[in-house]
Amino acid sequence: MNWTAQDMDTYLQQIEYIDTLIVPLLKVETTPGDMKRSASSSEFLMHLTMFIETQFKGRMMLMPPFAYTTSTDLTEMAATLSRDLSVAPFKHVFFLTTDSAWTSIKVDGEVIWLPSIPLENMDPQLRKTIIEDQLRQALPRFMEKWSEQ
Amino acid sequence: MSKKVSRRQFMSYTLMGVGGFMASGMLMPMVRFAIDPVLQKKDEGDYILTPQKFDELTEMPVRVDFTIKDRKDAWYKSDVSNTAWVYREGDTVIALSPVCKHLGCTVNWGGDENHSDQFFCPCHAGRYMKNGENVKGTPPLGPLDEFDVKVEDGFVYLGKTKPNTLV
Ligand code: FES
Repeated sequence: MNWTAQDMDTYLQQIEYIDTLIVPLLKVETTPGDMKRSASSSEFLMHLTMFIETQFKGRMMLMPPFAYTTSTDLTEMAATLSRDLSVAPFKHVFFLTTDSAWTSIKVDGEVIWLPSIPLENMDPQLRKTIIEDQLRQALPRFMEKWSEQ
Repeated sequence: MSKKVSRRQFMSYTLMGVGGFMASGMLMPMVRFAIDPVLQKKDEGDYILTPQKFDELTEMPVRVDFTIKDRKDAWYKSDVSNTAWVYREGDTVIALSPVCKHLGCTVNWGGDENHSDQFFCPCHAGRYMKNGENVKGTPPLGPLDEFDVKVEDGFVYLGKTKPNTLV
C-alpha cells in the first residue's frame, strides 16, 4: 500500500493482512560535489521501494521517505523513529536505505542497506532487471521475518 | 537519453500540466493498466506492443514485461512498467494480470513448489489455477483479470484488463 488516503482506507479495513511497514531513509547531501550522487541514490531508493510496493502491495505499507541532511544525528533520529513508529500497529518494520551509516545504528526494526546503483542512464528494461536483482537481495530478509510467526 | 523534447513529449507535458493533475487522481485505480487518455490518440488504439513473439509462446505461462511510455505525473515515474502472464492455448493467446485479487500483490507462476502448476501470491499464500481461477480456501475471492490480446506481425499486443472470461 502507498501512503495515500485511498490505500489507507484499504489498510484500515485489512490491518491483519498488511502487517509490514517499509520506511525509506534518505540521505540528502548538499555540498555541490555530492549532490549528483545524492540525487542518484534518492532516485534509486524511490524506484526500489516503489517496486517493492507493487510486488507486495497487499502485505506492506510504504511510508513516505524520511529525509535528513549530512549532519543529522542518526542515533537520535533512530530513537525518535523507533518511538513514534511503535505506535503504528505493524508487526514488522523494515528501514530501507543506501546510507551505510544505518547499519551500525540501533533502531527498532530491520535495517536493509543496499548500495546505490545509478539508474539514470539505463533504459527501462535494464533498470527493471537491476531493481529486481536488488529486491532479490532483500527478499530473504522479508521472508525470514514473515515466517517467524 | 536525448535531451530534445519531442513534440509528443511536449504535448504531454503541457497537457499533463493542465488536466493531468486532476485526471491522475481519478485514474489511480486503473493507472497501472491504462494509458492516459490524453496520450491515446497517437498510440494505435489501446494496444501496446510487447517484446513477446507469438511463435515462442507455449502452454506454459511466461512473464511478459511491457512499458507504457511517457507518463509524467508520478514522482520519479516517467514510464509505467507492466507485466502479464502469457500463454497459448491452441491458436489463442491468453494473458492474465499478475495483480492478486486479494489485496493486490504480484503473483508468480509456479511460485509455490508444492503447486508448481498454479499462480502463487507470496503475500498470504493465495493461489490460482492456470486460467486464473482462484483456489478455494486461499484468500483471493475472485479470478485474475485478463488482458485484451491481439497478435500482429508475429508479436503479442496487450490492451486493457477486463474481468476473467475463462473461468
Ligand atoms: S494479496 Fe495475494 S493472497 Fe493476499
